[in-house]
Amino acid sequence: MKWTLSIALVAATIVLIAAGLFQTRSGGGTVGIAAGRALPGFAMRPDTPEHALTILLGAVQRRDWKQALTVMRTNDAATSEDEQAMAQDWQGSNGSLRTFSSLESFDLWPQHATTDEAQIRARLNWTTPVGPVEDLRDFNLTRSGEIWTVTLPRTEPPNVPAQIVPVTYLRWDLVSGNGQDKWGTHNLDAPRVRIISMNAVNSAQGVVVMGEVENEDTVPAFVNVNATLLNASAAVIDQENSFDKIAHVLLPKAVSPYRIDFPGLDLAKVKNVRMDIKAALVPASADPVIGVMDQKIEQDLQGNPVLHGALLNQSGQTVNIPHVIASFSDSNGRVIWVSDGYVDNALLPQSSAPFAIQIPRNVATNVRSFHVVVNQYSLENS
Amino acid sequence: MIRGEAYSRPIPLMAVVLVALAVHGPLLFMQLPSSSFDANFHIFFASHYVHHWFNPWNEKWFAGFSQTTYPPLTHQWIALLSNVVGLNMGYMLVQLIAVLLLPVGVYRFSRIWVDETASSYAALGSVFLGSLAFLVYQAGQLATVASAALYLNALPYFYEWMNDASFVAMAKGVAISWAAAAAHHVTLIFGIVFFAGPVLWIACQDAVHERIAASLAGAISRAAVFAVVVAAGVGVILLPFWLTLIQHPVHQIPIPHDSRANFLLHSITGINYFVIPYGAMILALPFILLRGAGTPRLRPLLFGFWLAFLFGLGGTTPLPRWLLGRAYDILTFERFTFWATLLALPFVGLLVTNLLRRFTSKAALALSLATVMTIGAALWWLKANPYRPTATVDVDPVVAFLNRDGHDTYRYLTLGFASDLAKVATYTNATSVDGDYNSARLLPEMTHYGSAQLTNAKFYGTAGMSALRSMLAHADRYGLKFVFVHDSYYEPLLTFVGWRKIEVFDHGEVTAWSKEDVPPAHQIPSDAIPPAWQGLMWGTLPLGASLLAIFLEIFLPGTRRAPLQFQMRPPQNEKQYVA
Amino acid sequence: MSWLTSTVWKIPRAGTLLLFVGACWVAPSAAQELRVPESAMAGQAAVISTNGSGHATFYLIGPGTSIKREINLGEDVHVAPESLEDSGQYLAIVCSESCGSATFYVQPSHPASLSFLVHPSRVPDNQPDAVSGVAFPFDHFGNLVLDPLAVTFQAAGPKEKLFAREVSTRDGVAWFRTASGKSVGPLHITASIGPVSSPRVIAQVASEPCNLRIKGQRTAKGILVETEPVHDCAGNPVADGTIVTFNASGDGEKSTVDAPIKGDVARALITDSGPVTISAASGVAMTNELRVGGK
Repeated sequence: MKWTLSIALVAATIVLIAAGLFQTRSGGGTVGIAAGRALPGFAMRPDTPEHALTILLGAVQRRDWKQALTVMRTNDAATSEDEQAMAQDWQGSNGSLRTFSSLESFDLWPQHATTDEAQIRARLNWTTPVGPVEDLRDFNLTRSGEIWTVTLPRTEPPNVPAQIVPVTYLRWDLVSGNGQDKWGTHNLDAPRVRIISMNAVNSAQGVVVMGEVENEDTVPAFVNVNATLLNASAAVIDQENSFDKIAHVLLPKAVSPYRIDFPGLDLAKVKNVRMDIKAALVPASADPVIGVMDQKIEQDLQGNPVLHGALLNQSGQTVNIPHVIASFSDSNGRVIWVSDGYVDNALLPQSSAPFAIQIPRNVATNVRSFHVVVNQYSLENS
Repeated sequence: MIRGEAYSRPIPLMAVVLVALAVHGPLLFMQLPSSSFDANFHIFFASHYVHHWFNPWNEKWFAGFSQTTYPPLTHQWIALLSNVVGLNMGYMLVQLIAVLLLPVGVYRFSRIWVDETASSYAALGSVFLGSLAFLVYQAGQLATVASAALYLNALPYFYEWMNDASFVAMAKGVAISWAAAAAHHVTLIFGIVFFAGPVLWIACQDAVHERIAASLAGAISRAAVFAVVVAAGVGVILLPFWLTLIQHPVHQIPIPHDSRANFLLHSITGINYFVIPYGAMILALPFILLRGAGTPRLRPLLFGFWLAFLFGLGGTTPLPRWLLGRAYDILTFERFTFWATLLALPFVGLLVTNLLRRFTSKAALALSLATVMTIGAALWWLKANPYRPTATVDVDPVVAFLNRDGHDTYRYLTLGFASDLAKVATYTNATSVDGDYNSARLLPEMTHYGSAQLTNAKFYGTAGMSALRSMLAHADRYGLKFVFVHDSYYEPLLTFVGWRKIEVFDHGEVTAWSKEDVPPAHQIPSDAIPPAWQGLMWGTLPLGASLLAIFLEIFLPGTRRAPLQFQMRPPQNEKQYVA
Repeated sequence: MSWLTSTVWKIPRAGTLLLFVGACWVAPSAAQELRVPESAMAGQAAVISTNGSGHATFYLIGPGTSIKREINLGEDVHVAPESLEDSGQYLAIVCSESCGSATFYVQPSHPASLSFLVHPSRVPDNQPDAVSGVAFPFDHFGNLVLDPLAVTFQAAGPKEKLFAREVSTRDGVAWFRTASGKSVGPLHITASIGPVSSPRVIAQVASEPCNLRIKGQRTAKGILVETEPVHDCAGNPVADGTIVTFNASGDGEKSTVDAPIKGDVARALITDSGPVTISAASGVAMTNELRVGGK
């Protein structure tokens, strides 16, 4: 009995552990913290293209660059320079959005395979401070012996030559008065801002209220646009605000698109939309100036309409995270959609970076003009 | 006296308790657990009872939540002691009491299974358990430790009641069980399976083999009576808890926890949740298996241990998910490892006895090293663990900011504060939309995403950041005006959604962010506010149960005899199992 | 201030009226006679005479004060200046065997301060009726002076004196409305009554840009385009930081730069290499079109 029971318990434990290894669903784990590699003998081998790429991306998830290099090199031992370059490729640099990002999950689609070569398309789901970012990337793999390795095109970091860029910061600071001084108490008027267009539409996600807002004053304004949906009996259905679908700080005469999402609601049930714009005086800086070059609506590889362009940092200050917001108007000049997107790369002074913003297919056909503004986050200003 | 005989004598229980005091007392008086994951959470709950003993509705987290969602005993004792020694030391004292009760409980529980000498070594081993150090100093699971200690103390009375029909044992067992439930509900629920199950089984087995006077039917019927009385009492004592649970069952999206990972595929997780808690006990696993399988009387204990062991492996095996269903995604599994080590201690006591008998001082030296290394490794891991809580936030300026100039008329949020979130909440008058107790959350912004505290949002990936975005989007709704950031990761989001940095604390370690035009916070209507009668029950019955247990323990002295009057004899071939 | 006084201070006007009505009700026709001052001024002592003999209790209830005192009938009751700091109706009551009462009015004292509100805090230049102000004279004790007073309003811009006007208060209020000046800068506005004055400053800012024009040239980096100095129609420079949006279109693509005005001029770099047409706009103002050939 002793041996029988002992062996039975050990066997049951082993079977359960084996079942656990085959369990597809991940039980836990937090993003961005190394949970350690698999124990020896339990690690996946790069014996197929999918396994090799899974090992690479798994290592990227754990930021285990040493292991990532094991499926990228077959001959020499990895050097620390390789490791550093690899890390920079995947981790980003200069305080860009990618430096804040973690690879949360990925899906693989084999595109093409022979006995010695394969191409796999991967959808990389990044978690970032500004929300999830999806990235489609094609990987080429080659077989050497029993092992498959990944060939990654090396991304060269932007090479910005040393230069002197005149920096003439314009900056507004708030000076608060008190009751004794001649400016009086709290008698500074809020900036004059105005909603210059508004449109409400039904989208796949729900009701979307959008348009453009302008600072008509001579001082910078912090702007937030709120919308309240009312039903036929004038009761409030929902109230939301423009959140990050707006450039909140507007310099004088600046115009920003805004979009307010009401997920899961149907416009047919909405009788009235009450708009409320709130503006406040805030400190602000006129730098950096970012130009939006070569804007054009095209189709991406999957045939989706996309607004492409390039951001050009015209100032002497690094822009760590650019945020592009675009409003699209029809032939009557009415705003029919507002999209936004964050750019992975930092914008070094006088350098440029491409951007792409998706447009829903049904909207793209009616677009006659568009207006792009660039919002930004700079570590220097934060 | 022959040297071998000295080692075969039981260690007096008082000596074991003094060892526990000597080992854990200084660590607790140095407030080592204050940087653990949950210590601030328990102190926060206790601080509410300090000010509102009979009102469990706490506005400081989640824009209002009921503290009836967590059994209150340990918190109420901290609150009581805090009047004399302050909240932090009150926590340490309650933790110390739990730690001192544990070897007593282990000794009494072990006496059901093994002889006095082995039991005393089991009790001594409990002082040095890696899992205990893990729970006390890293996890800060005060309630789990306290409840387990109480439960272990109750089980011998349960066994005695089944055997002897002693009403004194019944009364004591029931009262201590109530107190254990008032300390931690999860321990009681699972304790029935892992601890009470084997005890019931062995009582029945003893009755069948006529090792005790009771008949099988008598033992079972008395067990049923005991269970009914305990269940009824727990039902009444924790009635507000059950009512809250029925009204608001935990329907939130599962929150990831590393204890549910597969330890074989995540080596550091494996070290954290397996190697450190078991320590040198890993070497004893073959002995536990073979001795448990080879000795019929130990088999119930072996099965209890084995089941707890498998549960403690978290996601390494699918068994917990199969057996627990949805509860799998709510529970964390380090506590099962703790219970497994407690269940293993009687075997370890036997092993130690055998080793000392055979190898005397050499064994004593080796075992001493093993025990010291086990607890030493667990303490070393506090600093070496990459998951360790980073309690480096100086919350004083944050608290001062919130408590001045009417800032407490708005709600606030901390980001990157980890468990110090609870420390801020303890000492500020302001209320927050975040909190550190997942089961109490009712705000849709929190429950609709698979993420725990907003302050740790980034560690939950897209789910965490989505929850945070959702909360920030509804800042006006909750009067959320201030965000304190201890991790620059969150600054881009705050910038893009229209928050501005207004103050810098602690040389830039913490920054305060504010949003214009947020209206002052108002009370969020909730159907979870407990009525006054529940507050009265909550303020009296759980503490009353513990006072009753203390009273009975002091004024109704039992026979204090060993539950069994025979000695366990080791199998003849045991030497081959010795590690 | 004693507890009693500070408590009664908070009695609202309705409460005072109630006390007054109550006191009248308790006062029979043959009650004590009181002689109250015909005219009293805030912050000045007053004397109330009584007749008869014996002891009595004196009560004084006013807008912000209440006094209870034991007095001898036939003697004058001296009310201290600090008890009469608030202007308005006061009720004096004397009670011995029966009660008698009388009311008197305390006028505000001489104007000692001016509460002066000016709107707006920023005003575009050259706008009719764009600036308004309102002044309230108060005495030393914070009582609004209701008697007509002549308030002098003066406004002076950075380069010109806008106006000086004397306005009589009506029910304690005087106001004015005027056009903004032609030049940008601080607009100093003062309201004064004799030696008492209250200065305010508002900002006169440039109006919308006027006759916006751009020029540009191709450089190695791209087309450097800039505005001519941006002024409003009154010739004042538009505020630095005002956004000028440059648009360049050509070859099916467009480029835009939102550039702030710095030193009266906004500049932008357009990197298009082909022939482009460039224009700029700021608010409602549009510029000329600039055609630049390809590289």
